[in-house]
Amino acid sequence: MKKFFVVLEYELMNYLKNKSYMITTILVALIAGLLMFLPNIIDLGIGEDDTPVSGGWEQDSDADASDSADAECMLLYDKNGVFSDMSVLQMVFGGVRWEKADSVEALKEKIEARDADAGFAVDSLNSFEYFVYNQSMMDMNQSLFEQALGVMGQMKYCEENGLDYEQVYNIFAPEIDARVTVLGKNMANNYWYCYGLVIVIFMIIISYGVMVATSVTQEKSNRTIEVLMTSTDPNSLFFGKVIAGAIAALLQSGIVLGIILGAYKLNQDAWGGMLDMVFDIPGNVLLTFAFFGLGGFLFYTFIYGAMGALVSKTEDINKAAGGIQMIIMIVYFAVLIQLMDVDGIVIKAASFLPISSYSAMFARVAMGTVAAWEIVLSFVILAVSTAVVGIIGSKIYRMGTLRYGNPIKLSSALKNLRQGN
Amino acid sequence: MKLEVRNITKKFGDTQVLHGISFAVESGRALGLLGRNGAGKTTTIRILMDVFHANSGEVFLDGKKFNQREHQIGYLPEERGLYPKKTVFEQMVYLGRLRGIPKAKAAANARKWLDRLEMREYEGRKLETLSKGNQQKVQLASTLVCDPQIIILDEPFSGLDPVNSQILQSVVREMIDEDKIVIFSSHQMSYVEEFCEDIAIINKGEVVLSGDLADIKKRFGENQIVLSAADRSLDMLSSFLAEKMPDRLQITGRTRDELILRSLKNTSRREILECLLANNIEIEHFESYKPSLNDIFVSEVGEEEKKEELA
Repeated sequence: MKKFFVVLEYELMNYLKNKSYMITTILVALIAGLLMFLPNIIDLGIGEDDTPVSGGWEQDSDADASDSADAECMLLYDKNGVFSDMSVLQMVFGGVRWEKADSVEALKEKIEARDADAGFAVDSLNSFEYFVYNQSMMDMNQSLFEQALGVMGQMKYCEENGLDYEQVYNIFAPEIDARVTVLGKNMANNYWYCYGLVIVIFMIIISYGVMVATSVTQEKSNRTIEVLMTSTDPNSLFFGKVIAGAIAALLQSGIVLGIILGAYKLNQDAWGGMLDMVFDIPGNVLLTFAFFGLGGFLFYTFIYGAMGALVSKTEDINKAAGGIQMIIMIVYFAVLIQLMDVDGIVIKAASFLPISSYSAMFARVAMGTVAAWEIVLSFVILAVSTAVVGIIGSKIYRMGTLRYGNPIKLSSALKNLRQGN
Repeated sequence: MKLEVRNITKKFGDTQVLHGISFAVESGRALGLLGRNGAGKTTTIRILMDVFHANSGEVFLDGKKFNQREHQIGYLPEERGLYPKKTVFEQMVYLGRLRGIPKAKAAANARKWLDRLEMREYEGRKLETLSKGNQQKVQLASTLVCDPQIIILDEPFSGLDPVNSQILQSVVREMIDEDKIVIFSSHQMSYVEEFCEDIAIINKGEVVLSGDLADIKKRFGENQIVLSAADRSLDMLSSFLAEKMPDRLQITGRTRDELILRSLKNTSRREILECLLANNIEIEHFESYKPSLNDIFVSEVGEEEKKEELA
């Protein structure tokens, strides 16, 4: 045990004395922390309600969209005079500046010349053509225009039948006083920090896993391994190395995350709660993240360490660790995709598998319904699997010590272990 | 202390590498492990160090099963290796601590050995910035930093210039004088001859010769003489002996200037000398043959193998 601490201290100091580790940690923490103070330093316009409201009748109908030079410019070619009242379009589209075009060709030319963002050639209340230069994925103009046409149709109908449009509108779309009380968890609020934490743990596992594997392989390539193996037991060396990596990762991510969360807390009012969905992480979720994240990290880092022992050259690490990296990627994408359905069977199953519980379980804790016994069971499975992987990893590390040359296949390594070689 | 290796065998896949290696070495004595490349010296040493497990056979220390972890062993592996990016002092202290000695003691020992090996000025330098010879000295200092009772050096002299070899020789002598067990393998017979009271020659995974070097030399030199004449070439002298004493002398070898002869049928030295004098041979050199370790090695491992070894 004493020698384990000697290895741990030495390996940890290697990380702490590493300039790129220290510079990255300090720089990222500093920049991220400063960003959180940004609303106090410069005016970001947070709190000023300049968001255009689309289709809302409460909006001031006199709102002049052309006030802003940067306002989106839209063209309208209305040969049949469908839009006798342009204010409908301005109300539906909010801060958009509308201009009339003389023909479809003129409308297209202006859009192609980038003098306008988009345009509509309307034939009747039921027919129009939408022109746009580059259509973005989030383009809502077509549906907004359909909404405007609908309003025009309703207004025309009311006028023809002697009805008061506002009265009809209030009957069909009355103001409803709705209140939402979330008794469980609010997925909309928790989704983004969950998303962020899944990415964080994925990045930590990949980057530190490769670092540990490289450190093991380097000891083989510079032949230090034989001196080390004959100086102390392989368990102390292997566990010391991996756990030093875990502490370094915890320190780095803890410092960065702590500074970001702390700085955001200090500036929460200045941000107007705008980033609450990312940085206002409840304590129980952070705790689950810490426990499961650490377990998952150790689980994979032990495997990375063993993979490092299977090769003698650092350039072969990716070849040896390719399989495990593939598993990590699949888990990462599967969990991210399933975040929308955290109570679904995929996340439930993933939250008990040691290869995926590190991210799936805390996602369930943050956003879904999970019983305490499930958390405990999942953690026990993860802890036991991590210990087993650690012991097997240590044996592979011991076995791979003096096998220089071509990379050893994992299957041959496991076969050798079974045979007791 | 007495370290005994008893009947060790080792197989890698289908290849039997060691066929029952046995030898023994005591405190205050050094054992030279000799053999050509691939003979099994390093595998034997690695089994001693528990890097490999033997398929059969055991190692004993003072009659008890030898557990490497219970003793301080200074091991200099054949495959030299330390951390190239670390400073000399830092890694020496680390290796000392790994072998179980306290940090302060490891630091003191590191300084002591760096002083002794005239390397103190390099203690703060990264290993990769040192010459190969100096790196080798750092490796040796790291081997000794734990105050070992047993020292195992695999090819310690390879890569050292004559001055550094001299320093290493004196260090090895000190270790022997301090009553430590010293085992070292080497291709350089002169070094083995200088320090080792005991030798074990391994050939193709078997010990072909082992024991006290002086006894072995005596045994190999028994009934043999060295002869040269001032008035005849070695070929003429050989012809003369073949003619005059055909069944009483056997030529066992020759150096550049001398013949090595074995007396047969209890032929005494007086009889040989009288025959030479009676035939007016002007004797230049006539004495007992004292074989060198090199001669013994060649005779045991074979002239051809020796040539391959040197190549």
